[in-house]
Amino acid sequence: MDGAPARQQRIDVTYTCGECGADNQIKPREPIRCKDCGYRIMYKKRTKRMVQFEAR
Amino acid sequence: MRAIRPGHGAAGAAGHGAQAPEVKPVAKGKGSSLFSTDTHGRDDMRYAGKKLTDPINTAEDKWRLLPAFLQTKGLVKQHLDSFNYFLETDIKMIVKANARIDSDIDPLFYLKFLDIRVRPPQAEDTQRGVAYELTPNECRLRDITYAGTITVDIEYVRGKQIITKKGIDIGRMPIMLKSSRCVLNNKSPDEVAKLGECPLDPGGYFIIRGVEKVILIQEQLSKNRIIVETDRMGCICANVTSSTHEKKSKTTIVYGKTGKVVLKHNSLTTDLPVTVIMKAMGIESDREIAELICGEDLEFLALFSPSLEEGAALKISTQRQALEYIGAKVKVTFKTNRVGVRRDWIEEARDLLATTVLAHVPVDADATGMLNFRPKAIYVALMVRRTLQAVKDGGVVDDRDFVGNKRLELAGQLLSLLFEDLFKSWQSAIKRAVDTQLKRNNRTSQYDAAAAVSQTSRFITDGLFRSISSGNWNVKRFKMERAGVTQVLSRLSYVSALGMLTRISSQFEKTRKVAGPRSLQTSQWGMICPSDTPEGEACGLVKNLALMTHITTDSDDTTLRRLAFVLGVEDVNLVSGSDLYATNDTYLVFLNGVILGVHRNAEQFVKDLRRLRRAGRVSAFVSVYRTILQRTINISSDGGRVCRPLIIVERGVPRVTEADVRDIIHGVIKFDDLVTRGKIEYLDTNEETDSDIAVYESEISWTPPAKLRADMADPTAPPPTPNTTHLEIAPFTLLGAVAGLIPYPHHNQSPRNTYQCAMGKQAIGTIAYNQLTRIDTLLYLMVYPHHPMVRTRTIEMIGFDKLPAGQNATVAVMSYSGYDIEDALVLNKASVDRGYGRCQVMRKSATMIKSYANGTYDRVIDPAVDPTTGMVQERHAILDQDGICGVGERVATNQILINKQSPVETTPRVPTAASRATGADGDDEAPTAPIRPTDPTAIPFKSTPMSYKYPGDAVIDQVLVTTNEEDQMLIKVLVRQTRRPELGDKFSSRHGQKGVCGIIVNQEDMPFAENGVVPDVIMNPHGFPSRMTVGKMIELLAGKAGLFAGQVQYGTAFGGSKVEDMSRILVENGYSYSGKDLLTSGITGEPLQAYIFFGPVYYQKLKHMVMDKMHARSRGPRATLTRQPTEGRSRDGGLRVGEMERDCLIGHGASSLLIERLLYSSDASDVEVCSSCGIVGAWHGYCAYCKSRSGVVTVKMPYACKLLFQELMSMNVVPRVEVEDLE
Repeated sequence: MDGAPARQQRIDVTYTCGECGADNQIKPREPIRCKDCGYRIMYKKRTKRMVQFEAR
Repeated sequence: MRAIRPGHGAAGAAGHGAQAPEVKPVAKGKGSSLFSTDTHGRDDMRYAGKKLTDPINTAEDKWRLLPAFLQTKGLVKQHLDSFNYFLETDIKMIVKANARIDSDIDPLFYLKFLDIRVRPPQAEDTQRGVAYELTPNECRLRDITYAGTITVDIEYVRGKQIITKKGIDIGRMPIMLKSSRCVLNNKSPDEVAKLGECPLDPGGYFIIRGVEKVILIQEQLSKNRIIVETDRMGCICANVTSSTHEKKSKTTIVYGKTGKVVLKHNSLTTDLPVTVIMKAMGIESDREIAELICGEDLEFLALFSPSLEEGAALKISTQRQALEYIGAKVKVTFKTNRVGVRRDWIEEARDLLATTVLAHVPVDADATGMLNFRPKAIYVALMVRRTLQAVKDGGVVDDRDFVGNKRLELAGQLLSLLFEDLFKSWQSAIKRAVDTQLKRNNRTSQYDAAAAVSQTSRFITDGLFRSISSGNWNVKRFKMERAGVTQVLSRLSYVSALGMLTRISSQFEKTRKVAGPRSLQTSQWGMICPSDTPEGEACGLVKNLALMTHITTDSDDTTLRRLAFVLGVEDVNLVSGSDLYATNDTYLVFLNGVILGVHRNAEQFVKDLRRLRRAGRVSAFVSVYRTILQRTINISSDGGRVCRPLIIVERGVPRVTEADVRDIIHGVIKFDDLVTRGKIEYLDTNEETDSDIAVYESEISWTPPAKLRADMADPTAPPPTPNTTHLEIAPFTLLGAVAGLIPYPHHNQSPRNTYQCAMGKQAIGTIAYNQLTRIDTLLYLMVYPHHPMVRTRTIEMIGFDKLPAGQNATVAVMSYSGYDIEDALVLNKASVDRGYGRCQVMRKSATMIKSYANGTYDRVIDPAVDPTTGMVQERHAILDQDGICGVGERVATNQILINKQSPVETTPRVPTAASRATGADGDDEAPTAPIRPTDPTAIPFKSTPMSYKYPGDAVIDQVLVTTNEEDQMLIKVLVRQTRRPELGDKFSSRHGQKGVCGIIVNQEDMPFAENGVVPDVIMNPHGFPSRMTVGKMIELLAGKAGLFAGQVQYGTAFGGSKVEDMSRILVENGYSYSGKDLLTSGITGEPLQAYIFFGPVYYQKLKHMVMDKMHARSRGPRATLTRQPTEGRSRDGGLRVGEMERDCLIGHGASSLLIERLLYSSDASDVEVCSSCGIVGAWHGYCAYCKSRSGVVTVKMPYACKLLFQELMSMNVVPRVEVEDLE
């Protein structure tokens, strides 16, 4: 693969803290830590795109 | 927020508003539990709706002791007890035994370990530098280890001072969940839930790097006990495996073919006559030897006389001569030889006899320094006597498979073995480090030995972690090499996890064709489940504990020894040979396999000791029993014995009364109170054989002892029935937790129960209350699980009704459509639409975003855009801007979940040894690439994405981002699939009746009952006659009755709702007593000619689903080496025409088909062969061997064949191919 420069466009993705539920940003190569409570586990939020389910 | 809590009371209580008690027992009482149906938390629910005022019938209600037992003991109490004992006692003993490190260099130096502790699991917050409490759930999610810090207090010499240091970390110890060091210990269900843990989770396992690991219970032959058996030569011999903390050795006394008795031992080059051994132990006179072995019995003397004669022929009569004789036969090991100076033979022999032969019998030195061999000599004599007795009785030997001769090794014991080994080798590492430091003469500062202790903390940690995560238990000192000790905890269902924690694995070889160890032993009653064992290879070798089994831990025997002497035991040292077997009432007294002495009133002694135990003066887990045949009393306090609680019966009356049961129900007393009050006691298997246990209260028999004696004196009277000593608490506890799920198991053919035990572990259901927050590799969940209509007491006690796996299907037992033959099931389409059998499959994919040593790092890149259309590429469709898939998105096969890229080069460029050497020599070799620190940003990246590889669409359920212990980023993606039952999915009732879905029928075509009920499942009646699962029929009947009565029915083993009562309920509600209904055909609209057995049966959906197995391929990938199609569904492999299929084709003479299958559709390749020399490997029509183009032809052959030819050629074998023209 080519070594295309990394595009830093991930500003808009926020993550939820697994402990206190605060919104957090994750920067590359930085330890993951809640800015409020210091918890180390983050969850991604649900997608904003429309999802259609087939209910069967 | 997550810093250490100041004591666990405050934080826990804040949540539920109740006032915080000082010391918190398990919360109880109404309302204190979040889980109103949680019997573990609520006392009032524990007794199945029985009101406090209801009358109590002891005969019927004594099973209610069982929930109390499980409340105090828990389901996996054996593991927890064992681990707690290790942490609190054993580890301290290990350190005490190896406390001191001395230096070879400085005689003044010493380092002493004063104390050792294991702290509850904590993790260091690297940024803040504070430790915080780790929870098991966090460990699972972050792939870290749930381990506590091991700290020691040390005292050592620094310069001329003695320094004491406290709390030095020496490593980390994995902590068993729910053990005394676990954060979950002593927490109420809601507090446990607050930590993200399931209150019903039994604990008893470890979490190593996010993986749940169980240390299986290991079954072994007991140590330090004499076992008489027949050896491979057919000779009768007495074996003892001695095991102490220092040594392990096996000593054998063999009654040889020639009638001579010899002693075998590993450290001896030859077998030695027993008389020589006895003489070496100071029993010099032949008369005394004979007396010690044979007593006054002439039969024994006759058997032993050849050995005496042999001893006389050797002309050895003094201890010195005997020792000299033995010394010459001692095996020279490296250790003894290394010193160079050959030790005195006599000393060598004496040392061997004292420490190595029968190592568990202590040989103490008296005040003058003389070794007292007498107890050991008597022990040898006893072993000879046992052998001779077996010979005399015509080969009656001990039963190795008797449960009383077994010991179960648990996590605590196994860990202590491992820890001791690691601790010792770590100590020698410290000693080496200290010595090298002390050796240096010109030290700038005083050497501080504490540095050596604290700097090497990885040593113990790594050893422990490695062993638990790999399951390889290697202890060099004992030459122990065991693999597969640990297993990953199966989380297929709650039952499977539970079943794993009660599993016992045997050390026997699986390949040996001996039935003995595999067959059911009568002594397993109540201890080991008779039903729960796998089929096939491991059948009977892998077992499961019964519901009430307890496994003992080691307890101190010094007080017992003193007590025994107080109770009238005469010391062996003071006893002559003729006293040992003086009268028929003289019993030898053993304590943990070591002779204490003799007692002349065995019955009284045993009675006294038991009375003391019931009074709580002796540990409840000390067992004492007599063997009448050998005239011995055995007292055991060692660990690993299986035992179980029983109600004590005195004078024909059970000690547990109505009032006691009421107190238990009221929660006034606990189970342990009954034990301390001498109403219930624990019996191990050996003591059970010395007791008379009634299963039901009505079976208790009692005759006053005076009358009993009179009866026995009278030869004409019928033999008196022995007095009952104990009463079973509940007979159904003889089954294990998994077999306890089966309703009416006593009505089933026994293999069916065994099949169900295997299938219950594959049932899809609920895993735990925290199942949706767990991210496991593979998780099956049922969408609408039911608790069974027909329950058992076991189900309620293990909590299966709260974490069920299955649904109550309305079953019609009838033939329908022909798609139900061979155990196939007919499913109702409407039921399936409503959610019957619907399940979810959660799959984890995880990846690490690493930083590498050369300064490079992985990166996650936003979705790639198609250069022509400007749209995001198809494979990247579900990615967000952060390069990770969005939660809730639908993912198709081969789409990318995490768009990761890794650097091409990850190791720092260091000058290799070779390049350095050439550089130093200034050699004229090709100049190596100049070593320069590479610019990390210049290293190109390659794409290493993580894609969704499984067939079938799925939905992203969760995306978790975290860091692990090494501060590397970890991304876990949980992918969910919802599946409805389809053709070929596997279902099973709880009676070993499995079947696949044969057809899904529209509801309008299904038969229906008079009240309009349409079955969910139609089962073919042919499943019943040969399988004889009557329990399933009764389950249906009881379930149907329960529907009308509006209550669940019980199918508890050896009890449960009676068929007659069930029929009565049915009749009262206007149904047939037999459970059969009039059904109308949905197809013709006519009533069916027969009445149909119709009602609810609890059906499990098993994890084997067509979707995971379905596979077909036309063309596809091939293996690189052989060019044959790959193997297996996961590699999109071909369908193999195996050797049996090949045989069929040969039998048919279908040669063209054969060639097509084996050649054209497999690995056909064109090979050029030279027809003149026959060598393969011509190239473009030119034979390099003949150097000509004349005879080269192209031949089709399997690529594997061509490969074989080439391999042969590489080994200097020339395969030549002879070519002929086709006719």
